[in-house]
Amino acid sequence: MFIGKDSMDEQKELAVIVPVSERYDNVIGLYNDYKAGIELYTKDYEFIYVLDGDFPDVEKLLEKLYQDGEPIKIIRLSKWFGEATALTAAFKKTNGKNILTLPSYYQIEPSEIIKLLERLNEADMAVAWRWPRKDSAFNKLQAKVFHSIFNSIIDDDFHDLGCGVRALRRKVADEVPVYGDQHRFFPVLASRRGFRVEEVKVEQSQRETKTRLYKPGVYLRRLLDILTVFFLAKFTKKPLRFFGLIGSATFALGGLLLIYLLIERIFLGVDLGDRPLLLLASLLVVLGVQIFAIGLIGELIIFTHAKDIKEYTIEEIV
Amino acid sequence: MDLSIVVPLYNEEESVKPLYDAITHAVTPLGIAYEILFVDDGSKDKTFETAKSIAREDKRLRVIKFRRNYGQTPAMAAGIDKAKNEIIITMDGDLQNDPSDIPLFLDKIEEGYDIVVGWRHKRQDKLITRKIPSKIANWIIGKVTGVPIKDNGCSLKAYKADVIKSVPLYSEMHRFIPAMASLAGSNVAEIKVKHHARKFGVSKYGLSRIYKVLLDLLTIKTIVSFTSRPMLWFSILAIPFLLLSAITLLIFVLMFFSEGIGSLVIMASLIIIFTASGFFLIMGGALGELIYKTGDMKVHELALLTIKDIKNQ
Repeated sequence: MFIGKDSMDEQKELAVIVPVSERYDNVIGLYNDYKAGIELYTKDYEFIYVLDGDFPDVEKLLEKLYQDGEPIKIIRLSKWFGEATALTAAFKKTNGKNILTLPSYYQIEPSEIIKLLERLNEADMAVAWRWPRKDSAFNKLQAKVFHSIFNSIIDDDFHDLGCGVRALRRKVADEVPVYGDQHRFFPVLASRRGFRVEEVKVEQSQRETKTRLYKPGVYLRRLLDILTVFFLAKFTKKPLRFFGLIGSATFALGGLLLIYLLIERIFLGVDLGDRPLLLLASLLVVLGVQIFAIGLIGELIIFTHAKDIKEYTIEEIV
Repeated sequence: MDLSIVVPLYNEEESVKPLYDAITHAVTPLGIAYEILFVDDGSKDKTFETAKSIAREDKRLRVIKFRRNYGQTPAMAAGIDKAKNEIIITMDGDLQNDPSDIPLFLDKIEEGYDIVVGWRHKRQDKLITRKIPSKIANWIIGKVTGVPIKDNGCSLKAYKADVIKSVPLYSEMHRFIPAMASLAGSNVAEIKVKHHARKFGVSKYGLSRIYKVLLDLLTIKTIVSFTSRPMLWFSILAIPFLLLSAITLLIFVLMFFSEGIGSLVIMASLIIIFTASGFFLIMGGALGELIYKTGDMKVHELALLTIKDIKNQ
């Protein structure tokens, strides 16, 4: 479903995208606050609200805003697709020169938005870093743990991936594909593609202080997300380097155990048939080979699709 | 026969100008149309600015700037992708290759070779850390891929454009281009080239890559020999396991009829493990067949590129 002018002819200076995915605060109030913050920077803007699934209350309020003549478009996805997919849908429905994504709840003080937009003069993407954090100690702790794990695995330096406030140039939206749950890693993926991504310290909203304890499944998913991004970032084009390393390590471990067992059997006369260690050793050897084989299959996949893969991004040709 | 010269550059601000001069000096007398493509692989120094200012003077020079550093293979791939002419020559940006060798390459291509690779027969590098490992590596690569080339690491190479453009280039495959191209049945010539010691900057490729090269080699083997028949490859890999399983079974039976068995469970489990993994590998082969079918890299299409002549009776 789509409400709003579907014309791409007039290019706005700024497209403001607000995905409504899980949480949302007072819709009208937040809209007015955001609007005031953005108007400090430009008057030439449009809002795009993406409803990620069914949000009848929100939709009603937004439609009212639309009828009041506010510069707003509304997209409703037919079911929940994830915040990143919502963003991608909105990117397709706007041709704004710059794009600002904002969360549907209070994360930063709206008057701080201008800092991000001004940073776009030098950077391709400016992401908000809520600093100093006014959150509860528990929120701070979980954010800290998440980022230290993330940064050490990906070898990067991000401080606030949980913040949905990001300003980006049009080309970043066009070139960096995000989908599903990856919105959190949007800046990471953009910087991997060679865009200049900068963090800008902004004041955290006073209203965002409630302690958030998620279900265990959410934390597990977050961990898997990190692994996915890690894999995508480092090994997409060389699966055997990934599986091969794990596979050969497993294989070597199993092989060493086997040798040890054989030495004991031959020189010390220890019976082999009733030692469970033998099972473990052979299992490791076999597992190693299988992991390796998966790597080879991965290489076949990459090779047979190599025509579609472009590893590099070109900034300029003279 | 028009010529495109592709040169990846990474932090080579001092080399750009001398390199450009050397190339034009070598190629202009040949009296053929040519273009030079510098690919700036996300340099942090003034490489791009320097190249750009030369390009402003000379329309034959094009400069491709990467958004960040991606490595030598993507840089070459980008240059090859953008090259417009029939013959493509690639070379290093660090002045270790000598553009004055270019005419020799063109002669060989003219003779009918699809690929001509340079061989740095008097290499100006450290013996222990560079020359010996590379000798061993080249020997192994030749054995495994069946394309015996004395110097895979030399970037100075010449290709027929339609052959090289159809060979996928990714990851760190530039070392294996001749092997890859053998998929298309290309015939490869090797000629001796000059090699200079580095004048500027430091060497960016070292000894620490053995494990990567080994894995890449296995990849190449899989691709070059078995892309179109993965089932065969995985079945070969499965043989040792099926053998092991058979041997264990035999021992099991023998023990059963002689003095009795240490542990029934363990012997039985061993057989199961080995058999299972043998089958796992064969299934992997089946999956491979599926991948090849759905993929868009068809070996027979590559073969069409290097058809030498058709006898018409």
